[in-house]
Amino acid sequence: MIRFLAKRTAQAAVVLLLVSVIVFVLLHQLPGGPARAILGPKATPQAVEHFNHQQGYDRSLPLQYVHYLRRLLTGDLGESYKLNQTVTAVLADRLPRTLVLTGLSIALAAVLAVPLGVLQAVRRGRIADHLLTGAAFLAYATPVFFLGLVLILVFSQRLQLFPAEAPQADTVGGILSDPRALVLPVVTLALGIVAAFSRYTRSAVLDNLSEDYVRTARAKGQSNARIMARHVLRNALIPLASLLGLYLPTLLSGSLVVESMFNYPGMGLLFWNAAQGSDFPVLLGVTLVVGVATVLGSLFTDIAYAVLDPRIRSVP
Amino acid sequence: MTDSLLRTDPRLPTDSLLRIDDLHVEIPARDGDRRRTVHALDGVSLDLAPGEALGIVGESGCGKTMTALSVLGLLPGGARITGGSVAFAGTDLASAPEPVLRGVRGNTIGMVFQDPLTSLNPTMTIGAQVAEPLLLHKGVGKAEAWRRTEEMLRLVGLPKPGERLRTYPHQLSGGMRQRVAIAMALICEPALLIADEPTTALDVTTQAQILELIDELRTRLGMALILVTHDLGVIARRVDRVAVMYAGRTVERAGVRALFAAPRHRYTQALFAALPERAADASQPLATIPGLPPSPADRTRGCRFAPRCEFASERCETEEPPLSTDEGASRDAHAFACFHPVPPDADPVAQLVPAVPAPVPVPADDVLLRVTGLTKDYPLRGGPFALRRGAAVSAVAGVSLSVRRGETFGIVGESGCGKSTLGRLVVGMEPPTAGSIRFGERDPAALDRRARKAHRREVQLMFQDSYASMDPRMRVAAILREPLVIQGIGDRAGQDARIARLLDDVGLPRGAVDRYPHEFSGGQRQRLGLARALALSPSLVVADEPVSALDVSVQAQILNLMRELQREKGVAYLFISHDLAVVRYLADRVGVMYLGKLVETGPAATVFASPLHPYTRGLLDTADHADPGDGAGVRPSAAPLGGETPSAADPPSGCRFRTRCPYARDICAREEPMPAEPGAPGHAVACHFPLAPAAR
Repeated sequence: MIRFLAKRTAQAAVVLLLVSVIVFVLLHQLPGGPARAILGPKATPQAVEHFNHQQGYDRSLPLQYVHYLRRLLTGDLGESYKLNQTVTAVLADRLPRTLVLTGLSIALAAVLAVPLGVLQAVRRGRIADHLLTGAAFLAYATPVFFLGLVLILVFSQRLQLFPAEAPQADTVGGILSDPRALVLPVVTLALGIVAAFSRYTRSAVLDNLSEDYVRTARAKGQSNARIMARHVLRNALIPLASLLGLYLPTLLSGSLVVESMFNYPGMGLLFWNAAQGSDFPVLLGVTLVVGVATVLGSLFTDIAYAVLDPRIRSVP
Repeated sequence: MTDSLLRTDPRLPTDSLLRIDDLHVEIPARDGDRRRTVHALDGVSLDLAPGEALGIVGESGCGKTMTALSVLGLLPGGARITGGSVAFAGTDLASAPEPVLRGVRGNTIGMVFQDPLTSLNPTMTIGAQVAEPLLLHKGVGKAEAWRRTEEMLRLVGLPKPGERLRTYPHQLSGGMRQRVAIAMALICEPALLIADEPTTALDVTTQAQILELIDELRTRLGMALILVTHDLGVIARRVDRVAVMYAGRTVERAGVRALFAAPRHRYTQALFAALPERAADASQPLATIPGLPPSPADRTRGCRFAPRCEFASERCETEEPPLSTDEGASRDAHAFACFHPVPPDADPVAQLVPAVPAPVPVPADDVLLRVTGLTKDYPLRGGPFALRRGAAVSAVAGVSLSVRRGETFGIVGESGCGKSTLGRLVVGMEPPTAGSIRFGERDPAALDRRARKAHRREVQLMFQDSYASMDPRMRVAAILREPLVIQGIGDRAGQDARIARLLDDVGLPRGAVDRYPHEFSGGQRQRLGLARALALSPSLVVADEPVSALDVSVQAQILNLMRELQREKGVAYLFISHDLAVVRYLADRVGVMYLGKLVETGPAATVFASPLHPYTRGLLDTADHADPGDGAGVRPSAAPLGGETPSAADPPSGCRFRTRCPYARDICAREEPMPAEPGAPGHAVACHFPLAPAAR
């Protein structure tokens, strides 16, 4: 188990290094180079040269990469062109808010999707199953921005149940203290995941229900409800845990849309604004964070697998 | 309507524990747009006294498992009981509501299923799974449940039960898992244990241990047993009475000795005659049952067996024979549902076996294949031994043997002994780690690419699972044409003619060319597999467990066919099987493998009659013969082989069998025994202390 985790962590570290290489290469693909991007198209060649020398851009690429990596390790991601802050500071401010949004969405999705999937599996082929299947496909096929608009229209404009703007507080605590304003963004982000996860839960539970061990449990005299709770659910949720980690990138890109739609000051909105204003250091910083999150997500998946499935645990 | 004679007889004892009366189970099915009903059970009747052991035998699809499942109301989705009753200790389980059934399941009736791996929950500890029924039915506390669970695990022979409580199923071997499953079924000390093919997924020696365990526990706990199996050998020594099923009905019911001595139903008679171990003479073909069992979806009038029965008359086709007896209506009477039963004193086998010409004698010196010191190691990567450099699974370790032109060389051994790897090496599907394979005068390894490709037609492979080994989207014509195209044999018309001849040879209609593999039955697919293997007129066919997936009656057809084609075409077989009876019947010479080593080789008759290696002896003693013995309570002559086969990744030093050998001494751990011929010439054994030739 320990060896398995050590191996996985080492692999994740290698992938992270690759992520840094990609971001580094992207940095050098900036139109006109970073100097032009920062100093503007009208800067004199002397100014550009001076800037390049100052920033170390006139050295060889490998050397620059080492330099970049060293800065990265000390948490230095450069300065924002527009916000007059270091990228690290901006991200430290915005990342927790996005984590709140995505975390709540995942939690809501899990709470809804698993029971719905189980219900569909148990009522396979009946009306409830068909209705939920239809609803799931509808939700899955609806783009996030459209879903958000519909929800705003119905629940904010018409029914006036929830505000159309997300909480604007500076701190995580402040955001959480305004739960009504959180409802629409979280639901918008969660619905697609609910749809996908309930489908996966349904098929995983159905697969497990036809397994021999379920028949064995019935032969012991166990009731159907307890067979579901004690035997089937755990086995069915193992593949779902892996899905969760793989869904992280999707969630983060979803939060980009949702945050800009509900004006939620998280990383997605940050990315949106930076893209509009060609604030490249910020864009690259967010890219790096998303890359790291993706790698950590799959690491988390492996750990979850190992914890949940004893067969994986005993294979190093 | 059918079993009125037995059902209404007032003299019947009323103290039966379980009594199934004229049970009917139907499964609604859909055939395209047409709804129809599959009659899975169509009149099953049997009864069981407390403490008694009943065997239910029959071929696949006869409804024996369905009968077992319907006792506990565990029928698969859609299936329901449409008639009859299942009386257990005063309750009719056939009509009982779910809560009542739940109170019976795992409590007063325990059940053990076929595959111990899939039958256990992979993510739940063994302790929790075994304790579950106890917590459910007996209302004991957790501590008490764990104590009793540990005790039960000890009772079923699990070493170190206290430590095992917290382990998971995948950490145990197949035999140990089945012990756990038995512990689970018995933890509440039920009055009845239903075991559905409990040893079918296990090796011969493990099978003997498990059956012995069930036997012992039955006596100890005083419970009744229903043993469901397709294997007449398993049932012969383990039960008191037998019910034979065919196409959803009980066709014969009798005491085990009466049944084995003189079956009355024509189906039972044919079934016995098809057993390889019952063949009067290994040179004679086996009796077969023509055709296939009827599909349960097609309900026919009259006797279900009539279309396949050579004794069937007009009456058999219109009238259903009742399960009745001519011995008076006692509970132990020999009952059968047949209008033309076997006369009580006839020899059940002799009547059915057709006489054929004797096989062509094999010239002793014409060696086709010579294998010398063949070794195959699979390096271990990422497994539990990854840290040990150079660690490897020693699958085949220095095997030497020769196969003569036109003979059948049988390789016997348990799973994991390396017999399939040996087959793959001989065919050339994998390169050996060491050793040589000489084919006639040629060494395939020394040939250039083109010559090697041409050489491949000489050796062909026949698989166990012919369905999995055929492309499901290729028609039969394409499947059989492929090897011809690869080897560039004939033009299209020539290939067509050859395919037609092949189908004739294996007894399939020529029209089969346009059909897909899934349209054939298991036996027909195995015929196809044989046709494919023979397509290139090879001189050697490596047949890896070719009949293991087949029912007895179909197995006999394939064995006869293989033998007939051998006589016609002079092809040699390297016949790999775990089934001693089949090898004994088919093989001219045999080799016994254990953990990658060939421990004994020699003429089949000699090896089986007087084995020299303790392992061969153990295998023969533990194999269950379809013979209940002649006295009461007769058991196999020796104790079954104890223990389990060690891991091939870490084989014992010296003699690999020494850890399970009753005769092992110090030298066995130090020195590897070399093959020698202490007895008859040609009968070699690799053992420091070979058994005396006349030991049996």
